[in-house]
Amino acid sequence: MAATNLSMGAAIVGAAESNEIGYPEERGEKVTSLQHHIQAIKNVSDYTGIPISDIEGVFSTGWSVELAEHLGIRPHYIDTTSVGGCSFEIHVHHALAAIASGIIDIAVVSHGEAGWSYRGAGGGGGGRGEMSPGAEMTMAYGTFGAPSQYAHAMVRHMHQYGSTVEDFAHISVVTREWAQKNPRALMFTDPSQAEVKLGERTPNPFGGPITVQDVLDARLIAWPLTLFHCCLVTDHGGAVIVARPEIARSLRTNPVWIAGAGESMAHQNMLEMDDFTATSAARSSAIAYEMAGLGPQDMDMAMIYDSFTVTAAITAEMLGLAPRGQGYRLWKDGDAAPGGRLPINTNGGGLSFNHSGMYGMQLLVEAYRQLSGTAEDGVNGIEGKQTDSQTCVVNGTGGTLSTTGTLVLVSDD
Amino acid sequence: MLPRCTLCGKVHWYPRLICPSCHSTDLEWIEGSGEGRLHTFAVQHRAFGGWAEEVPYVTAFIDLNEGDRMMTVLRGVDPNKPEDIKIGTKVKVEFEKADDDTHIPFWRVVEE
Repeated sequence: MAATNLSMGAAIVGAAESNEIGYPEERGEKVTSLQHHIQAIKNVSDYTGIPISDIEGVFSTGWSVELAEHLGIRPHYIDTTSVGGCSFEIHVHHALAAIASGIIDIAVVSHGEAGWSYRGAGGGGGGRGEMSPGAEMTMAYGTFGAPSQYAHAMVRHMHQYGSTVEDFAHISVVTREWAQKNPRALMFTDPSQAEVKLGERTPNPFGGPITVQDVLDARLIAWPLTLFHCCLVTDHGGAVIVARPEIARSLRTNPVWIAGAGESMAHQNMLEMDDFTATSAARSSAIAYEMAGLGPQDMDMAMIYDSFTVTAAITAEMLGLAPRGQGYRLWKDGDAAPGGRLPINTNGGGLSFNHSGMYGMQLLVEAYRQLSGTAEDGVNGIEGKQTDSQTCVVNGTGGTLSTTGTLVLVSDD
Repeated sequence: MLPRCTLCGKVHWYPRLICPSCHSTDLEWIEGSGEGRLHTFAVQHRAFGGWAEEVPYVTAFIDLNEGDRMMTVLRGVDPNKPEDIKIGTKVKVEFEKADDDTHIPFWRVVEE
């Protein structure tokens, strides 16, 4: 059966973050994941003018029932999809389907993750007791956390395509350039230039501009990944509201239309990854582009999950933005940089802005900010519109290059 | 020993409750050749628990001669010279006794 085309069947009508992201703990203020959720939902409600009581669908990684109870609302659409960092792109896909089919009119997608303050306390979305057989067969061999796994993909990419560690390092450098434009970015401030005032955030010792050599010289985490090839670990909350077209057009905020959406997966454990230089984003983006009637050549900018430099490079290839094996060139050649042909990760990315563990919401908030034309208004505390983009492909990646969700978003007219 | 589907004949790793190729549940264990090729690797410089004392060490994915892939800590290589480790190189399995019931397979780079 041919599916109904859901393109433009709903819009993102607003996006907001929690009040204090990054390392709130440093200021003696330990903010829980729940607080991040509630602050973000309150902020997006205030921003759009949509009362929290009007929300009919709650989409969040495992949290939806607790959030609804806490907010005192009784949604009639509940989605707790928790498949890693791309969950939020997938939530938007599901919200689009729920709205376009007439089940609900207004949905909230919410994220709250005190990834730094509660580090080591266990993941937000998991919860299964015994170890899966696939995980057992990899954890037994001394791999710890994402970098230890992703490094294998980078080595295979270097072998297959002749790419170098230096090629990938350009991704860190360019992404840091974007972070210099975002005061909310953890790596915004150059510590050697900063005047530290009492009660203000201490600049991160690694903040400020970096060079390719800095990336190469940084401490090794899992060769070939040095520290600067790896994303941050921070706290973050964010929320977007998705609404039916008639409502989207009636609000004081500018809608950003969901032209296309797709999701897919390749494996759970890297042991089952057929091709270490490819992800299911090839499939999820093909679905999203087809729905949108648009292709990679039509995209003005991209928000690409950059848990590691290699994630961003491979994903750019999967989204059709660069030929296979040459994803890194977008950064190395300056296309992805400020003023470039195809701005990528304009918030400073997971590498230099913020990465709480599941980074997909940060991608959505920034895509909304750029496409809604409201970036200049200082939405979420960031002043200045970085691009004139009308179209953006957003791609989240979850697990160990396991799951992907792609959205094709377009500005209003 | 490796799990193999008696219906389609394909070997898979990790061990499953059902054949991931043809979905038969009629599976058997066969003795593998213990030989394979290096698919990709990384050098771990940050680890926890007992592994923390072992850094740096090389983790790797092995293409089994019988098909499918296995993860391991690779032996017979210098973790401080990753540039010298060649993808596609021949590897052989060796077992290390963990306790009375468990032997853990490790793979070692060998001459062609």
